[in-house]
Amino acid sequence: MSATDAALAARDPYHVGHAGESQARGHGAGGPASKRIVVGYGFWLFLLSDIVIFSCLFASYTVLAQATAGGPSGKQIFDLKRVALETACLLASSFFCGTASIAVARRSQLWTQVALIATGLLGLAFLFLEASEFAALHAAGDGPRRSAFLTGFFTLVGCHGLHVSVGLLWLGTMMAQLFAKGFRADIRRRFLCFTMFWHFLDIIWVAIFSLVYLVGTKL
Amino acid sequence: MTLFGKLSWSAIPFNQPIPLVAAAIVLVVILGVLVWVTLKGWVPYLWKEWITSVDHKHIGVMYCLLGLVMLLRGFIDALMMRSQQALAFHAPGYLPPEHYDQIFSAHGTIMILFAAMPLIIGLMNFVVPLQLGVRDVAFPTLNSVSFWLTATGALLVNVSLVVGEFSRVGWLPFPPLSELRYSPGVGVDYYLWAVQISGVGTLLTGINFVTTILKTRTYGMTYLRMPIFCWTALAACMLIIAAFPVLTATLAMLTLDRYLGFHFFTNMAGGNAMMFTNLIWAWGHPEVYILVLPSFGVFSEVISTFSSKPLFGYRSMVIATLFICLVSFCVWLHHFFTMGAGGDVNAAFGIATSIIAVGTGVKMYNWLFTMYGGRIRYETPMLWALGFLITFITGGMTGVMLAVPPADFLLHNSMFLVAHFHHVIMAGVIFAVMAGIAYWFPKAFGFRLDEGWGKATFWFAFVGFYVTFMPLYVLGFLGMTRRLQHYDVAEWRPWILAAMVGVLILLCSAICQVMQLVVSIRHREALRDLTGDPWDGRSLEWATPSPPPAFNFAHLPHVDNLEAYWNVKQRARDEQTLGRAAPYEDIEMPRNSPTGFVCAFFATFIGFALIWHIWWLMILGLAGAYATFVVFAWRDVPEYVIPAEEVARSDRANRAIRQEALLGGRTS
Amino acid sequence: MTIDPTHAAGGADSVEEGDEHVPQFSTYLIGLALAVLLTAASFWAVNTPLIYGPGIPVALATLAVAQMGIHLVFFLHLTTAPDNINNALALAFGLLIVGLIVFGSVWIMAHMNYNLMAMSHPMG
Repeated sequence: MSATDAALAARDPYHVGHAGESQARGHGAGGPASKRIVVGYGFWLFLLSDIVIFSCLFASYTVLAQATAGGPSGKQIFDLKRVALETACLLASSFFCGTASIAVARRSQLWTQVALIATGLLGLAFLFLEASEFAALHAAGDGPRRSAFLTGFFTLVGCHGLHVSVGLLWLGTMMAQLFAKGFRADIRRRFLCFTMFWHFLDIIWVAIFSLVYLVGTKL
Repeated sequence: MTLFGKLSWSAIPFNQPIPLVAAAIVLVVILGVLVWVTLKGWVPYLWKEWITSVDHKHIGVMYCLLGLVMLLRGFIDALMMRSQQALAFHAPGYLPPEHYDQIFSAHGTIMILFAAMPLIIGLMNFVVPLQLGVRDVAFPTLNSVSFWLTATGALLVNVSLVVGEFSRVGWLPFPPLSELRYSPGVGVDYYLWAVQISGVGTLLTGINFVTTILKTRTYGMTYLRMPIFCWTALAACMLIIAAFPVLTATLAMLTLDRYLGFHFFTNMAGGNAMMFTNLIWAWGHPEVYILVLPSFGVFSEVISTFSSKPLFGYRSMVIATLFICLVSFCVWLHHFFTMGAGGDVNAAFGIATSIIAVGTGVKMYNWLFTMYGGRIRYETPMLWALGFLITFITGGMTGVMLAVPPADFLLHNSMFLVAHFHHVIMAGVIFAVMAGIAYWFPKAFGFRLDEGWGKATFWFAFVGFYVTFMPLYVLGFLGMTRRLQHYDVAEWRPWILAAMVGVLILLCSAICQVMQLVVSIRHREALRDLTGDPWDGRSLEWATPSPPPAFNFAHLPHVDNLEAYWNVKQRARDEQTLGRAAPYEDIEMPRNSPTGFVCAFFATFIGFALIWHIWWLMILGLAGAYATFVVFAWRDVPEYVIPAEEVARSDRANRAIRQEALLGGRTS
Repeated sequence: MTIDPTHAAGGADSVEEGDEHVPQFSTYLIGLALAVLLTAASFWAVNTPLIYGPGIPVALATLAVAQMGIHLVFFLHLTTAPDNINNALALAFGLLIVGLIVFGSVWIMAHMNYNLMAMSHPMG
């Protein structure tokens, strides 16, 4: 450590960073951040862009929500019991994903795979419930082509379901990679991105079940 | 459903001479280039050094090349439009309406999305890591994917010339005209998939650069010691992350309407076409700021360097940039004042639009004060900058006129509007790209561009711009609407003819630019940039050799104030020495990878398959894309090592030249 | 310029091990418990007569935002530590954009629909 570094460390022992003089990596004067932080931040930005996509779908849904074109409205088609079950599945799935994070940090292959299997099965259960809802509506003639409201509903909820499906594909690939290559640094970085993605999907679902299903049954 | 979906031999325009000839010429040129490259034995070199490159410098050059080629294609569309209008007074002209509609749609789409965007992104790619004092961007392979996906989009647009047709509904596909009912052909689908695929690439670029700029600057480079071009790149990339998802979502909704019969924007079943207009402009307005903010950054660098003075008011420039970035998301309704939102909504957005001009005003004054008291050198980049200062101010003023809703009710979609946006885009973006290319070309290739041809390019462009677009303002006031295939109003004729003359002057500019490249390449030894610092630059990219080695800097610089390189030079001149070199170490660099190219390969097939409804090809393409992802994810060795001796050799040569220049008192 | 080790593109690997912190099991448990509570509260809010009718959507929105916060803090470990500040700022920017798009669009379209469909009841 040079003289200036030592003086700075004395003034700023917890690396809070004063007036941009922070020597912490990735801030002010510290030089490039570590790969884990860089990858995590980049993926975080990607998730924010995904949030913007969902916000456009939310906006369209809200604008079109009253355009039922003689077809059913939300109150008539939303089944809150099924929604509660879907919510439980996804929330539990998120929880198990969290435990998988702990297992990876502790480098336990067995518990990682177990937790990820639980995550995946619960995610599949969620998808199954959602698919059966869509199929039932479609069979009754209330598919997305029936009205603008249904278009908006199917697209918003369906886009979330598509993200869950892609997530499950990613989960499978991740499990295979962890099994085949162990806990190498770059694989752990990718796993970090996966966990961020999976928790983010639950966050979007919170918005969906609150503002689409629950509000829809009231209005 | 047939094996090839909607595709059949009738897709090739055998019965339309103009597209047929154009397609034939393009195919011959492409084939010719491919054959020439193969015969010369350049394919292994091109594959190894360029196509699979993840180096930001190479990717930047490729982006600029793509942009310049597409700029030429867009310009040819412009020539055709101007000449059609020049001929079509009480006459049909030579372009039937269906064809003319495709040309103006292609012109707008290409110019904004496949010429301007790649050029700006190309400049950011090349310059930002060098200015930040680092070796590459945060995600180099992703960078390659971004470029190749953009190239895929450009390819699809050009394929529409040969197979099928392009969109006829304008550069933004407003429903209900763009819905399947009124546009049953493949044109809109070509547009949708080309823009969606390249949009993914652009979003990834935005993520890449925000991460690079915020998380991987060199030692000592705090936010307020970053070069101003990096600040504008940051603001533009933040806008990319915020706005491009809106484009993706909105075009996806239109695609769902067209492909699956949904009712987002249809007339029937409760759809709302106005929602499309609202959302697409929520992207569209930030998009133009994505283009113009880095352009402002280029001019800040150029004006400062060629006035031999530090940029005046650096902090206020930063604040103005962030201010523009934020407010650009609050003005989008000014693109559709006339759609009927009413007085209060129009007033709010009109006021916000007028306010955003303040940010640019601050920048203008800072540039003027930078020049004041400086020792100005009138080389080509500075000429473009001066042309920009004069032209952008007036163009911006016409924008403030349009920002007033009652005035806009008369001027909306007239030639006045066409004149305004070309005014600001040409002055802002095109002049900036020209200045940036002239400024950083020596750094990229190791030799300067010919000054004489450069100045000729500028003067033809400057004069040609005014002769082309000033008549369009007059035409707007005379009541001429945009996108007219023919007209009968005698009053308009002289102005349309004047615009035709202007575009021929611009053609001279384009020819001069091509000549400049040809002549400079031929005389490159005489134009060699030996020191790496041909302009007496002030920021870190000028500390590297021209062209920089793969690793950019032998040692990551330690920065302790703004204008890092200028201070190094001053200290070296004062102390008459460069200082001791640190010990050299091995450097790890990311390996080249075909991932980007292969990804784009599959994306092209996916796009083409979706356009023509060839479902099995689409599935194959998706499987291929997933396989590419898995193969990339499975690789074990992502980096290669540059040995310390090689680093040392490159750095010692660089230091020797600079030592000589320093002690000899010269700087180039 | 002072002497210092070189670093690879895209950030260095060597300090990575130290940056990774092992999450606590209790964090996830608490997060799960709070999330379950808020979810139950949302479902309850729809069925109970205790909340003023027109205020229910507001209550649901508030509970949703709270639950999203729980997820961000307990599952995604979003904090204001120096390494994390950029993430929090990026989130704030993202939320601003979401707000502008959603509320801006609803505001604009409500005006449009009112002005332009005044002749007849909106189609469908």
